[in-house]
Amino acid sequence: MRLRKAGAWLRRRAENVVAALFAVMFVAFILQIVFRYFFNFPVGWTTELTLICWLWMVLWGSAFVLRESEEIRFDLIYSAVSPRTRRAMGVVMGVALVVLYAMSLPAAIRYVSFMKVEKSSYLHIRLDYLYSIYVIFAVAIIVRYAWMVWQLSRGRDPAASDGTEVASGL
Amino acid sequence: MNPTSPFSLCLAAIVVLSLLGMPIGHAMIAGSVLYLYMAGLDMGTAAEQLINGMNGSFLLLAIPLFILAAEFMNAGSIMDRLLRFCNALVGRYRGGLAHVNVVQSIIFAGMSGSALADAASSGKVMQSLMTRDGRYPASFAAALTAVSSVIGPIIPPSIPMVLYALISDTSIGYLFLGGVIPGLLLGAVQMALIAFNAKRRNFPVEPPIPVREWPRITWQAFPALLMPVILLGCLYSGITTPTEAAAVAAAYALAVSAILYRSVTWADIYGTLVRSSRITISIGMLIAGALVFNYVITVENIPRTVAALLKTWELSPMMFLLVANVILLILGCFLEGTTILLVILPVMLPTAHALGIDPVHFGVVAVVNIMIGLVTPPYGLLLFMMVRIADISLTELVKEVLPFLGVMILALGLITFIPELVLFLPKLMGYKG
Repeated sequence: MRLRKAGAWLRRRAENVVAALFAVMFVAFILQIVFRYFFNFPVGWTTELTLICWLWMVLWGSAFVLRESEEIRFDLIYSAVSPRTRRAMGVVMGVALVVLYAMSLPAAIRYVSFMKVEKSSYLHIRLDYLYSIYVIFAVAIIVRYAWMVWQLSRGRDPAASDGTEVASGL
Repeated sequence: MNPTSPFSLCLAAIVVLSLLGMPIGHAMIAGSVLYLYMAGLDMGTAAEQLINGMNGSFLLLAIPLFILAAEFMNAGSIMDRLLRFCNALVGRYRGGLAHVNVVQSIIFAGMSGSALADAASSGKVMQSLMTRDGRYPASFAAALTAVSSVIGPIIPPSIPMVLYALISDTSIGYLFLGGVIPGLLLGAVQMALIAFNAKRRNFPVEPPIPVREWPRITWQAFPALLMPVILLGCLYSGITTPTEAAAVAAAYALAVSAILYRSVTWADIYGTLVRSSRITISIGMLIAGALVFNYVITVENIPRTVAALLKTWELSPMMFLLVANVILLILGCFLEGTTILLVILPVMLPTAHALGIDPVHFGVVAVVNIMIGLVTPPYGLLLFMMVRIADISLTELVKEVLPFLGVMILALGLITFIPELVLFLPKLMGYKG
């Protein structure tokens, strides 16, 4: 129970981060337009900042904010089968995901840490810092799905998705 | 194709993992990792492709901003005002509320780039309005909200068109313009079908709104009606880039809700940001997966292979468009639209190009197709959403959707084989083709 409460608290903090990244991105855009058209003074750092916010928002959010039910997936079969079959499907899929992400993790860390040789062009931030979100994301996904496999193998029923929560942007 | 080649295994892994219920974005990344491993390539390439792809495309940023604009608009009391305006416009005809549903979707399409956003924001209100006192059958009302929402991303702004512009290097401005007539055409065929049914099914008429009230009702809805004008104005005057135009639209929507309607609090803004980012994240993850998988497709030279294969069939451009339409419609019954856009279309594009098909025309046709896929059973996200909102069975809903599907596919045929329907406005604005 206490664990669940802590989880909910952490998720709300993760949401704070995402909302902040979105707000920064939005404001940076407005500044960019204002600077260029009202002060005739084009700035480049806003472009860089907005792209960083976007990358972080998607990977951070996918790791810590998005619920299983909100993911875009093909759930025609998944939601039609019996809970028992669904559990088995979830275990196979979860194990595959954990194994494949774990396999690529060392190479991903190598790539990200190699990027320390470069800095971003306007804000002069080391790229390995900026790109570290990928490693955070991959580790979080591995932990999250390992946890899901553990829960499923102990007999917890995976929730079938609810059509109104899927938000594909289409 | 060799069934044990790394690419075959990668493809099989993505299909099987998706069928097992893995989120599609993750399935594409996982499958691509398997490919890199089997082909003896550096597995860090997955991270590299994802990061560089996400970080390298300024155009993609238009997506979160369009989502934000629509959500800000919804945070204000815009929907009520819009519905009153539409009612004054078409309510007095037989089947009035049904026409209101379509006209509302057409106007909302000018503010939002997402069909699901339209259905989510107007679905509940429309459903309770239309089924009050048993005026319309619940399944008809739900079907109508689903099919009219399809217009949302065809009339600009449009999230799928941003994605198409990305994969095809086509001007987003011309694509947006190209969608206007096809979007209106879809609305027109839907309203024609309603008018045809209205007599037969004896649909009710709404009490006419006295003419002296029109100015007030129009004035109240005016800020919402102005949104598409501002957006397109920014785009075509060259004042802003497409992405910046999306930011201006979001800022305008925020200002309208906060200042004019005085209905937005800080808590609302925070809630809107979180809601918009959830949508952004789930579509962003799909884009990220597609970026990694598209690297595999490029390494394997798949689009060229397909183009070479199709060349031996000696298809005429019209035949190719017909085949493409059929393939996309069938895929739309089973696949999620963004996946089709990001994975299947890049494979078709080189062939379309080789046959001399106009990329703006092809893009609009493809987007209309993919949007129709949102209401084709068994897998249609709009159907699932309306089943939830209206609390009816999928079978009841599909029965009412089918006639609309028929006229929409008819309209799709017109758009496909009369390219001028798409290209007239872009050419008017200087598109060279």
